[in-house]
Amino acid sequence: MDALDVETFLVCADEEEGRRLARELMAELGFPEADIVFFEFNGPGARVRLRAYRHRPGDRYAWL
Amino acid sequence: MRIMGDRKKVLLAPLDPVHDVGLKMIRRALDEAGHDTVLLPPDLGAGEIIQAAFRQGADTVLISRTLGYGVAEILARFADLADAAGLREQARIGIGGMAVTRELAAELGFDGGFGPGTPVEEAVAFVEGREYQPQAARASKQKPDLTAGYSYRFRNVRLGGLLDQVVDGFVEWAAGKTTPGVERAAWRDRWWQAEAWLAGQNQDEFYRRYPDLCGDLPRDYYRQGKLHPKTRVMTERERRRLEDRVALVRERLVPRQLQHTRRKPWVFTQYGTGCPFMDVAHIKTLEAWGADGVIHFDPSWGARTEGLVEGFLSHQEDGSVITPENLHRVKEALETATLWQVRAHRGLNTAETVVLAGKLGADLTKINIAYGALGGGTDPARLAVDGYHAVRWAAQYRMPFDVVTNEELCGVPAYKAFAGMLITAAVGVRLGARPILQPLFCYSPEVMVNGQMEDDYVDYNAAKVRVLREIVDAPVWPGAPIGFLTHSEDRVQSSLTTALHAMLAASLDVDAITIASSDEAYSRGPITAAARIDTLRATREAFRFLGATAVSPGPRADFWQERLLAGIEQVLKDVLVVGGFVPAMYQGVLGNREDGAYPGRAGANTVAERATAC
Repeated sequence: MDALDVETFLVCADEEEGRRLARELMAELGFPEADIVFFEFNGPGARVRLRAYRHRPGDRYAWL
Repeated sequence: MRIMGDRKKVLLAPLDPVHDVGLKMIRRALDEAGHDTVLLPPDLGAGEIIQAAFRQGADTVLISRTLGYGVAEILARFADLADAAGLREQARIGIGGMAVTRELAAELGFDGGFGPGTPVEEAVAFVEGREYQPQAARASKQKPDLTAGYSYRFRNVRLGGLLDQVVDGFVEWAAGKTTPGVERAAWRDRWWQAEAWLAGQNQDEFYRRYPDLCGDLPRDYYRQGKLHPKTRVMTERERRRLEDRVALVRERLVPRQLQHTRRKPWVFTQYGTGCPFMDVAHIKTLEAWGADGVIHFDPSWGARTEGLVEGFLSHQEDGSVITPENLHRVKEALETATLWQVRAHRGLNTAETVVLAGKLGADLTKINIAYGALGGGTDPARLAVDGYHAVRWAAQYRMPFDVVTNEELCGVPAYKAFAGMLITAAVGVRLGARPILQPLFCYSPEVMVNGQMEDDYVDYNAAKVRVLREIVDAPVWPGAPIGFLTHSEDRVQSSLTTALHAMLAASLDVDAITIASSDEAYSRGPITAAARIDTLRATREAFRFLGATAVSPGPRADFWQERLLAGIEQVLKDVLVVGGFVPAMYQGVLGNREDGAYPGRAGANTVAERATAC
């Protein structure tokens, strides 16, 4: 209807690498403009929630 | 007052129609640190904020933005104006708030960016021009003793008397008996030395007889090098790389504290992905997100196998194989404050697992004779003898053990399961061990059928904890996991129900809990690291929500408590009538076929009259 969320855990050395990996992952999935909704890094990596909007309010909705 | 370096002049301004509470919290911390602060009112324009910064002579400006719409444009305009006015030459500018990310701050050229969840200390460090050190901010975690302060005195004298009689008869029966499992445990206790093994020294004496004491699978392993079909040996390269990885993770791991103002309950999670290396990866994640303890979960076939194998073995299904190498690898990877439990409770290797876990430095183990015999598939007499000796070794290696009542999951009513748990615990006390009571804290088959939780999940769970406290002064560790059978495959619902049960457990002031991941109800593949974090985060929030206050169970909790007490007492009397603990398990006193309990057959007819153990 509106967006795709990806919930996962990324193995990374620090926050910077984690965010880079998150953006690369979404770009590989075909969403270069994805947003990092939630990001929490500690020890082994980062718990992330990544979002790609398909339809923002006011768009021409494919489901109409 | 504490000033790190110079006293700073800080202007704090919400670039919003309303105040950001985060800004007020930072101001309080800056004031306490001795800095000069001015907090502007909300709804000012960028120009007005910049003028105020010049007027005050601010050397640091902190801007907050909570509203998300147009945030990039508004902050970009502020940055342009600040540049044009020359404010950047005088002051460092940081932005923060719900709508701000570090990337956005860097992209717009701000000196600092503080997104949601940023600790106040990090903003203070920015103002003071020093690097934020989360390691310094954290409270150092300490390994607790779950049994400290408990006397194990029976508060209910009548039940204590009944348990004494049951234990008298059981100890007299079990002490003169042995089994292949006890013989193996005794052999390992005597001849397998952890220090020598770690040093790579020869242990020929151990191997001289050990394979003869094992069943087919371990014997084939020792004699022919044959592995269980679903296992593989991890390579030396994999082992080295795991060690390197653990070392790296350790450097940057800051264990979270789940508890808020209460000290308890300590939070445990099970691992047992099948692969000891994936286990280690998950354990480091669990530790990072606040787990206080981890529980080794072995494959179901391990309980029906006479003997243990060796090596870095990966398993393709649930449960990680108990080998010295696998256990030691996990132990070496643990943070010093993490409690480590190796469960031994239900099968033919119960006694030997206790010995091996003790030699490798486990903090806790798990032994329950009644559950293993009625719900775990092991012959009651066999597990009674193995359990008796396992308890003695648990005492020898100073490992407290929990007594789980998973037979409830077969359908056995709580009062019968509790009677079995109390007997095993009383045996433990008699033999000098430190048992921990582990009632199920869940939506069990009993309550599904009989309706004790038709209205709520609070009263009956509360009654279960209260009745145990009424009977004996012993630690209580609900499990396993809490909220079992209330979880669905949805991660939010699953995390929530775990958190609610965690909150109730905290309110009841229990000592520990075992929690699930948000994958608990998902059975078509392994648990993920993300699912483990879900429930830890949810549990932490539940503890924060509850604080030091309490959930108040209703009058039905009192009713159920009385019913449970009466039921337990009657079962203990019936145990004595049928001739003791072991006959009671065969005759259904502690759970019968109608309940869903079946005396197991693994290890039947292996009890002998000669005892060599202990």
